[in-house]
Amino acid sequence: MTDRIAELTKLTLEGKMFAEMTATEFDREDIFLSKQEMESKRLCEHILNQKPVLTQYQKMTGFFLCRNGIVVGDAFHRQGHKAWEEMRKDFYLKNIDNLSTLEWQHATADYKKVLEKGIKGIIAEIDDSLKLHTEKEEQEFLSALKNVAETLIKWAHKCSEKALEMSEQTDIPEYRSNLKTLSEALKNVPENKPSSFYEAVLAIYVCFSADPDSVGTLDRYLNPFYEKDLKEGKLTRDEAKEYLQELFLMLQAATHIANGNFTRGGESHFCIGGYLPDGSDGFCDLSKLILEALIDLPTWIPQVTLRWTKKTPKEVFRFALDCERKDPNKRIAFQNDEKRLKCYTEICGFPFEKAVGYTTVGCNEPAFLGAITGSNSKINFARCIETLFHKKSEKIINTKDFDEFYSVFLEEMFSDLETAYEYDNKYNRMRAKDINYLSSIFFQGCIEKARSLTQGAGDVVIASPMYIGIANVIDSLIIVKQFVFDEKIITMAELVSALKADWQGYEELHALILKKGDFFGNDTDRSNYVAQKLYQSLYEFLKDKTNLFGYHWLIGDLIGYNPHHKWFGEKMEATPDGRHKCDSLKFGLGQSEGKDRNGLTALLNSIAKVDPNAIGCGSTVTNLMIDEQLVKNEENFEKTVDMLETYFKNGGVHFQLTYVSKEDLINAKATPDDYKNLRVRVSGFSDYFVKLNEAIQDDIIKRTTQK
Amino acid sequence: MKLRNETMKTIIFDIERNSFVDGPGIRTTVFFKGCNLKCKWCHNPESQNREKEILFYKNKCTWCGRCSELTVDDEHFLCFNDAKEICGKEYTVDEVFAEVIKDKAFYETSGGGVTFSGGECMLQIDLLLEMLKKCKENGIHTAVDTAGHIPWESFEKILPFTDLFLYDIKAMNEEIHKEYTGVTNTCILENLKKLLKSNVDVWVRIPIVPDVNDTEEEMKNIKAFFESYGYPAKIELLPYHAMGEHKYEALGKSVEKFDVPDKEKIEKLKNIVVPY
Repeated sequence: MTDRIAELTKLTLEGKMFAEMTATEFDREDIFLSKQEMESKRLCEHILNQKPVLTQYQKMTGFFLCRNGIVVGDAFHRQGHKAWEEMRKDFYLKNIDNLSTLEWQHATADYKKVLEKGIKGIIAEIDDSLKLHTEKEEQEFLSALKNVAETLIKWAHKCSEKALEMSEQTDIPEYRSNLKTLSEALKNVPENKPSSFYEAVLAIYVCFSADPDSVGTLDRYLNPFYEKDLKEGKLTRDEAKEYLQELFLMLQAATHIANGNFTRGGESHFCIGGYLPDGSDGFCDLSKLILEALIDLPTWIPQVTLRWTKKTPKEVFRFALDCERKDPNKRIAFQNDEKRLKCYTEICGFPFEKAVGYTTVGCNEPAFLGAITGSNSKINFARCIETLFHKKSEKIINTKDFDEFYSVFLEEMFSDLETAYEYDNKYNRMRAKDINYLSSIFFQGCIEKARSLTQGAGDVVIASPMYIGIANVIDSLIIVKQFVFDEKIITMAELVSALKADWQGYEELHALILKKGDFFGNDTDRSNYVAQKLYQSLYEFLKDKTNLFGYHWLIGDLIGYNPHHKWFGEKMEATPDGRHKCDSLKFGLGQSEGKDRNGLTALLNSIAKVDPNAIGCGSTVTNLMIDEQLVKNEENFEKTVDMLETYFKNGGVHFQLTYVSKEDLINAKATPDDYKNLRVRVSGFSDYFVKLNEAIQDDIIKRTTQK
Repeated sequence: MKLRNETMKTIIFDIERNSFVDGPGIRTTVFFKGCNLKCKWCHNPESQNREKEILFYKNKCTWCGRCSELTVDDEHFLCFNDAKEICGKEYTVDEVFAEVIKDKAFYETSGGGVTFSGGECMLQIDLLLEMLKKCKENGIHTAVDTAGHIPWESFEKILPFTDLFLYDIKAMNEEIHKEYTGVTNTCILENLKKLLKSNVDVWVRIPIVPDVNDTEEEMKNIKAFFESYGYPAKIELLPYHAMGEHKYEALGKSVEKFDVPDKEKIEKLKNIVVPY
């Protein structure tokens, strides 16, 4: 790390690089304008009134925030989205009928476009669209975008002047020269196409303000600049690393230090590697450099995911896993392109060259470059099981075999899903009342369709609500099949009575189920059969379904920052998988409470085989807890690399690792002061264990540590 | 006479998937019950007897009495406190194979496979032979973990279907060997000489047990043996650990106590016997 980056790192970790907002006094007569005119006018004034974060150590500047709730904000932040705010009060973290709850959405801007044509090129697109869209509202929207786009250029010019002023205040020749270079560069970007790798990174740095969320597929859109400059001798690998680090530090600094999310990687998340449109594997030297640059920094944000393909060389996979095991801040995760692209081409119907543009944002939600994640809800998937055993038991009590029981179950499950998806549409409809002027400049489809990002303008978008409790449902079905129909240990009536009594008086049955249950994750014929049957049913139900904007429905299973698995679970009666009344539900398919007894390969096989159709390629996360010993010794580490590669070859969608023993976690919960540095993977993001809320802590403790 | 797969059964006490320690790559290890050595440091005492057994962990028992009429064949028995468990389950060749084949993809990526261990898996040579054949037919790398106190004819039977032998040298000194394992090492060393001469891969594993075989002299003798008869592909020193102690009590057997060797000692001994 260079001295300059070390200084910037220090300032970042002290919270001194945060872009504090300057309040703007707006003209009260603005309210006589139309909604779109007023909102965009005020947004432009807000932007130009901001002060760039600038110290003598910087070679980049231009990031600003609009999160004061007075102006219409960026797509990432909630404040400024007035209709959504209104909905939030009643529905965010407040579930409906213990079935559905509202969540926020992540997105990633189209940085490729910025680098290909500059904002000037985008303004030309707006002018073209203005000729085609003649409706008043469309005209107003496009004019608003144009004003905001022009304001961004002016903002860059303002930053340029400030950089020049700063250069005159510093005595250190290197820094003075850097600031002068910066000042010159801001006269060119993001207005025009960048002329160098440095300018390209700077353009992203400035435009990130429009959607301070994910930088998307960073390696592939930066690579042409990287290769060209290296080849022409205008750039060294070390210089490139420095620019990347300066960008990453800004991603960290974008969250306020007092915000609890300052140490959560999910605040900004992007991908490297994966298939390119021509079908080759995209992991290149720049991808490697990105990992090296990130791991050098003692920060938490951003986190990065390696997209693995069948063509990914073993040494690349090993390198990324090696970085992962050495990274105390747990910033690296892994996705399987084979499975995801099968989903995006076959189920969603996207052409291959567009499908390869996906990235993961936030806690691992998939989004495409220049698009949002199309769903904003979490679903209590296990509610249908509760309904069947506690409210409609007469429908199942006389079922003759598993198939008959399963068809009754499906009816209930589909009914719940229909309701839950309708809520998801309602949330989206409400959000569409807010118009995004800033983000829409950088999102696909908004300019061509003269419609805001929030109004379904995107052309490559998926909608993946997150199902909480999938493992509870699978295990409940397995127990019914095993205990009631296959081994006939109990009758359905007895099981219903046991659940209604919350297992009281049925302690022996409960113990028998926990110990002899053929639970998911053990790679047995029965458990795999039931799990695959369920995913097949979900595939058939969803394969032709889209949301109100035409975005394809998919399935995810992560929870995000909030313990929805607890909130849903604590209002639920007992379920056949041995769960007691009020116990938390599970999220993800990685088993817990020692229910997976046949070792890690058995668990990985079960997960990899569960969904051959790939309907589960939405916001899906597989957390694996591995004994630290497995990766400490080099020989074992090699075997772990092989094991995880096999998991992907077999069809696993995702994994991320935590190396810790159960004892450590229990101790950490009891004596947090002794475990301040214990960092764990949660649900797509990583955080300090002691900072997590109790429900999430308990969930991690229950995960089975595999040896 | 060849027995048919379906009718040949043996008692297996564990099938461990995702094993990193029983040969190259990721492996599934099949533990046979029954051994003809009685090593005093054995960490799997439940592997010694060929029959099913009941392990009883007294400290977990609440004396509820549910198990008063328990026999080893009571498959559905479940102790709620984990105080009693039945060790050993009958498997046919096909049933074992059905478990082994599940991780084939992992073996292929990692250069792993199946390891037959025990106990002494070679005591049930016909059944072992069938299992090995079936695995080889399906392209699975096979390893046999043996103490080697077995007639050479048995080795000859399985050699064509075995890719690797994991072979123990427990002591070169015959008296020590006899005292601590119950048998002399003559047959074991003779078999090892022949194995080292054949084309099969051999990894020799040396348990290091303080005050039994943790001497420089032992290591030098092993080294001299290799110099005379050839070096195996790999030599591993396995330091004694006490993790099997509780199982002696559960089986109602008396346990012999040994110290756990320190790392420096192992390193020192390793340097004598390992030629690189």
